[in-house]
Amino acid sequence: MMTLNRTFIFYAVALVGFILLPQLIAVKYYLHLSVLALIWVIAAQGQNLIQGYTGYVSIVQAGFMGIGAYSTALMGIHSDMPVWLTITLAPFVTAFFALLTGYPSLRVKGHYFAIVTLAFNMVIFIVLMNFHELTQGEAGITGIPKPGAKDGLFNWRDRETYYYFVLIIAVLMTALAALIVRSRIGQTLIAIRQNEDLVGAIGIAAWKYKLFAFVISAMFGGLAGAIYAHYQSFINPEIFGVAQSLDAILAVIIGGSGTIAGPIIGAFFVVFLPEYLRFADSFRLILYGLVLVLATIFMPRGIVGVTTDLMAKWGRGKT
Amino acid sequence: MVEVIQQIINGVAIGGVYVLIALGLTTVFGILGIAHFAHGSVSMFGGYLTFFFVTGWGFSLLLAILVSLLVGMVLGVLIELLAYRPVRDANHINAFIVALGLTMMVEGLNLEFFGHEQVVIPTNLSRVFNIGGVTIPELRLYVIIAAALLVLAMTLFVEKTKTGQAIRAVAENRDAAILMGVNVNTIPLVVFAISTALGVCAGVMVGSLFAIAPGIGEGLVVKGFAVLILGGLGSIPGAVVGGLVLGITEALAAGFISSAYKDVIAFVVMISVLLFRPQGLMGKA
Repeated sequence: MMTLNRTFIFYAVALVGFILLPQLIAVKYYLHLSVLALIWVIAAQGQNLIQGYTGYVSIVQAGFMGIGAYSTALMGIHSDMPVWLTITLAPFVTAFFALLTGYPSLRVKGHYFAIVTLAFNMVIFIVLMNFHELTQGEAGITGIPKPGAKDGLFNWRDRETYYYFVLIIAVLMTALAALIVRSRIGQTLIAIRQNEDLVGAIGIAAWKYKLFAFVISAMFGGLAGAIYAHYQSFINPEIFGVAQSLDAILAVIIGGSGTIAGPIIGAFFVVFLPEYLRFADSFRLILYGLVLVLATIFMPRGIVGVTTDLMAKWGRGKT
Repeated sequence: MVEVIQQIINGVAIGGVYVLIALGLTTVFGILGIAHFAHGSVSMFGGYLTFFFVTGWGFSLLLAILVSLLVGMVLGVLIELLAYRPVRDANHINAFIVALGLTMMVEGLNLEFFGHEQVVIPTNLSRVFNIGGVTIPELRLYVIIAAALLVLAMTLFVEKTKTGQAIRAVAENRDAAILMGVNVNTIPLVVFAISTALGVCAGVMVGSLFAIAPGIGEGLVVKGFAVLILGGLGSIPGAVVGGLVLGITEALAAGFISSAYKDVIAFVVMISVLLFRPQGLMGKA
C-alpha cells in the first residue's frame, strides 16, 4: 500500500510538472526540445514493451517512427483525409509492416530477432532514400499540414498548443502501456523474459505473445513518428536510421527497463543529453557509447532502479 | 552467360569477406553466447589502421597488416576483459546492449582518429586477368585465395589443436569443460583475439577492394549475422556456405536488378530462409 501511494504521488507530481513546464521555460528552444522528448516518450514506451518487459531487443523503433511519419504525410498528400484520421491510421500501417517482419523472426529463438529487426531498419532507410517517386528521397517531404483548421479553436502553429497535444497523447500511451503490463498478456510477457522455456512448457504459445508485444511496440513508434511529422511539417530519412533506434534502446536502459517511469526519464535523457554534449561534438558518440556500457554494467536497472533502491534504504533507515 | 559468371566471381570475392566476418562472430557466439555487434566496427578499425601505417608511416602492406593484426588482437582481448566479462553472468540482453554501446564507442573512435572521409588502402596489385571473356582483377583473386586460406587455417586450428579442442569443449558444454580442467577464463580471451584477427583481415580486404568509411562496419556486421542466419549458427561450413550465398545473391541482384536495392534483396533472402529453414541452410533441424 505504501509503495502504491508513493507511486501515485510520483505520477501526480510529474503530471503537474509537465503541465506547468511551458510556463516555466523562458527559452523557446527548450520548449521545442520538450515536445521532441514527449514524442520520444511515446516511442520509448513502445520500445520498453518489447525490450524491457518481454526481454527481446528490437533495433527498429526509429524505422517504425519513419513508417508512421511517411504514411501519415503521404496519406495526407494523396487523399483528402483530415490530419486526425491519418495520424490514427499511421500506427496501423506500421503494425502491418511489424507483422510482416516479426512473424518469421520471432518464431525462431535467440538473437535472430535483434539482427532481423536491425536489418529491417536498414531496409526501411534504403527504401526511404531511394524510392524517390514516393518519398522524394533524401530531400524529404515538406509542407505536412498541422492538425486542425487554420481558424479553429486552437492555434496549432503555436508550440505550446502542440506541447499540450503531445502531452495528452504521451500520458494516454503511458497509461495504455501500464494497462497492458498489468493485464494477463503483460504478465505472460514478463514470464517470457524470465523463463521462456517454462512458458512454453506450461502450454502457452510464447511466439504469439512476443509477436503481440512487437506489433504493439511498433504501433507506439508509428504514432510517435506521425505526431513528429505534423509537428515539424517536414520529414526526411535521416532521423529514422539505426542510430536513432539505438537511442530508443538507450532511453529504456538509462531510464529503467521494465518500468513504466523509466522510458519517460530515459526519453528526456536522450533528447537533452546530446544538447549538453554539444561542446564535445566528435566525442559525443564515444561518450554516448560509454554511458550505455557503464550503465548496463553498473546500473542495469536504470535511473528508476537506482532511485527505488535508495528510497528503500532511506525508508529502512528511518524506521 | 559470361556476364553471369562475372557477377558470380565478384560475389565470391565479397562473399569471402562476409565469411571471415561471420567466422569471427560465430566463434564468439558459440563460446560466450554474445552477439558481438561491435565486430564490424572493430574490423574497420583494423582496416583504418593498416591504411594509416601504409600511408602515414610508410610501412609495407604486409608489415602494416601484421602490426594491425597485433593491435586488433589486443583490442579484442581488452573488449572481452573490460566490457563483456562484467556482464557474463547477467541476462544475455545486457551483453547485447553492451555490444551496442561498444559499437558506438568504436565508431566514434574511428571518426576521431581517421575522420569522415572514405579511405582506400593502396596496393600495387593492379593487373587484370582475362579468362574466356571473364575478367578477374589480381587483387580480387588474392582476396579470394586469402579468405580460403584463412578458413582452412581456422578449421585446422579448431579441429586439430589442443586449444581448438578446448574451445569446442566450452562451446559444447561449459560446465563439463570446467570439470575436465579447461580454463574458462582464458578461452574467451583466445576466442576474442582470433575473431578480431579474422575481422582485421576482413577490414583490410574491404579497405583495399572497396573503401572504408563511417557506417561501413555496422553494415558489415549485419551482413555477418545474416550469414549466420543463412548458414546456421555455430558451424564453420555454415558460415562459408552462408557467406558465399549472400555474396553471390548480392552481386547478381546488383548486376541484374538494382544496385541501390541489393541490400533489400539480401534481406528478403534472409527472411525467406528464416521462414522455411529456421535452422539455416547447413544447420541441423
